[in-house]
Amino acid sequence: MSAVIETDGLGKRYRRQWALTDCTLSVPAGHVVGLVGPNGAGKTTLLSLATGMLAPDAGTIEVLGGRPGAGPAQLSRVGFLAQDAPVYAGLSVADHLKLGARLNPGWDAGLARGRVDRLDLDPGQKAGTLSGGQRAQLALTLAVAKRPELLVLDEPVASLDPLARRDFLADLMEAVAEQELSVVLSSHLVGDLERVCDYLIVLVGSRVRVAGPVEELLATHHLLSGPRRDPDTLPDGLEVISASHTDVQTTLLVRTSGPVMDPAWTVSQVGLEDLVLAYMSQGAGRRRRDDHRHLEVRK
Amino acid sequence: MIEFHLDARSGVAPYRQLIHQVRHALRLGLLREGDQLPKVKDVVAGLAINPNTVLKAYRELEYEGLVAARPGIGTFVTGTLDGGSLAAHGPLRRDLARWLARARQAGLDDESIEALFASTFRSASEEDIA
Amino acid sequence: MIWLTWRQFRVQALTAAAALAAFAILLAATGPQLASRYAASAITGCHVGGCQSAAITFLSQLQASSAYPIVYLLGLALILVAPAITGIFWGAPLIARELETRTFALAWNQSITRTRWLVVKLTLTGLAAMAVTEALSLSYAWWADPIRKAIDLGGSTSLFSGGRFSSLIFATHGITPLGYAAFAFTLGTATGALIRRTVPAMAVTLAIFAAVQIAMPLGVRPHLIPPDRTVATIESVDLDFGNLTATVVPGEPGAWILSSGAINAAGQTVSTLPDACLGATTLGPKIGSSPGPCLQSHGFREAITYEPAGRYWPLQGIETGIFLALALALAGSCFWRLGRRRT
Repeated sequence: MSAVIETDGLGKRYRRQWALTDCTLSVPAGHVVGLVGPNGAGKTTLLSLATGMLAPDAGTIEVLGGRPGAGPAQLSRVGFLAQDAPVYAGLSVADHLKLGARLNPGWDAGLARGRVDRLDLDPGQKAGTLSGGQRAQLALTLAVAKRPELLVLDEPVASLDPLARRDFLADLMEAVAEQELSVVLSSHLVGDLERVCDYLIVLVGSRVRVAGPVEELLATHHLLSGPRRDPDTLPDGLEVISASHTDVQTTLLVRTSGPVMDPAWTVSQVGLEDLVLAYMSQGAGRRRRDDHRHLEVRK
Repeated sequence: MIEFHLDARSGVAPYRQLIHQVRHALRLGLLREGDQLPKVKDVVAGLAINPNTVLKAYRELEYEGLVAARPGIGTFVTGTLDGGSLAAHGPLRRDLARWLARARQAGLDDESIEALFASTFRSASEEDIA
Repeated sequence: MIWLTWRQFRVQALTAAAALAAFAILLAATGPQLASRYAASAITGCHVGGCQSAAITFLSQLQASSAYPIVYLLGLALILVAPAITGIFWGAPLIARELETRTFALAWNQSITRTRWLVVKLTLTGLAAMAVTEALSLSYAWWADPIRKAIDLGGSTSLFSGGRFSSLIFATHGITPLGYAAFAFTLGTATGALIRRTVPAMAVTLAIFAAVQIAMPLGVRPHLIPPDRTVATIESVDLDFGNLTATVVPGEPGAWILSSGAINAAGQTVSTLPDACLGATTLGPKIGSSPGPCLQSHGFREAITYEPAGRYWPLQGIETGIFLALALALAGSCFWRLGRRRT
């Protein structure tokens, strides 16, 4: 499977602070990729680099085999939905569709019109008076109707109420199924991503902490609980992501490629949310260290 | 046309839940041979889940010989599921009752019995898949 | 992209068109009458020597009327503020608003590059700004032609004064309005690209443009082409006896006098009438009794720094060229500012 996003040591700096550090990823096509991390972790920076809105300060990035934002051809292959779905407040819904038609050679007018009808958007209504959910849907229509190969969304549902959120994600999934899109969407909430993503990237403190197919991540991470023990006494092949101790009990979240044989441990499955939280707390604690703890799984 | 639903808290993977629901529908006769399964895009539009999840479920059902995909048209039921002949249910039920009695005699309470059954069932299923 | 530029610019364009139309109606309503008044005045067919008084009479009657002074002043005001208005309301929001409302994320992810987006927006809107200002200037020049001719003949009233080199007239006639419009517009866009917020960009654009417009005639224009100097007799310069400045340059009709002053026989500058000639003082140039012969007999002469009339179009061209070059540089800075490292 070819990669939609391929980065090597990618970094971006704002004045003296590195917003993204040493990011090496190979994101396969045909997936809905969730980019999750706390606010300020570098998610928007990474997505901006992928769409060509920013240029790297270190390393390289290739999207669909080309340089992001390199020219009209590259731009037409990638659709982008920015945070809070900005639209032109003074232009109507129909005006926005005309904008899409005029500025995109690959524009599918039938698809755009169909979506607007299905979503019950009034073509004559000024975009500034639309609700948050409707604005997001309009922006999604613009991004999808140009028939891209990759769709990038920056926190698309962060400011939507639960119903709008659900409708948007359902709509997005339908577009993915119909058009065989690859999608990368970011969120600071795992719950948004759990249902729709089958590939996950965890970004904490400007670094990638873990990346891989969701199924594989869930299969290789386990929660171990047992009598109080020093983590250093664990057998090799187990990487401890997070640890918590009481006076009698130790609970560890570990990553391992094989089964855990030690009978002293009770092994249980880890949910996606707990997995991400463990990496987030690991990232927060080790922000100042230089060790490269990000792991990626190549398909 | 059947409709899918998901229990996010059940701990069972979504694609497994879809498979169960198709098999359940087959058993109950809601789905017969020749019926079409819901289109992938309709399923994801209703449930807001990843299309690959649905594709995986349909692929596994196809592997089990229960459905067949016709490219460009849809996925259709080709096999049937009976719950085993009803004749087999009687002896199995009796065996189960006997086992339950033994478990209680050994001192297991309801929760322990459920836990024992669940973990044995799970590991047996995993062995089946492997 | 042309459609999008127009669609975003529609309201401003229609407003400008309406203003232009209203002004055109005003000019059309009063212009022909002004021309016929001129044709009927004593200026037509006047002989050398009598033309100046005929011009003064014509202009005084004009000033006493109700409509013409209003249109005269209104036109000058409009042409002067048009570049500032287009700079503030068309230029400043062009980039700043897209950055402020984050709609750039929408615009720059369609299938056109950032460069093309900016080229089309800058060119179309900038050309429109220049066209509006120049249209105002040209139509006004057509209307005010009789007045200009009368002033060129030496006529002058309190309101209708100032030859083509005077600050107000030089800035509103010819091709200089084009340069100002281009400069003000690109100043607005560049400020907007730098500050990234619309209202502060508008304020800064206004401040800088106003400063430049004041500095140009005072400090820069006189030095664009090194002026000529001459020393002439008191009689020949039609001296203003109030401040001892020349009002004409002998042998150079229509010249732009930058500075002039009386010098005594020893070559020193003199700013007031010497006591010896105070007796025959009359303020202002008046043929007949004047201190002129007195000053002349004491060896006084007039030193004048001036630009000959023939330098009008070269000066117009140089000044416009400077502003157009500034405009290009400012436009270029917008492209640099929006480069992909910076957003």
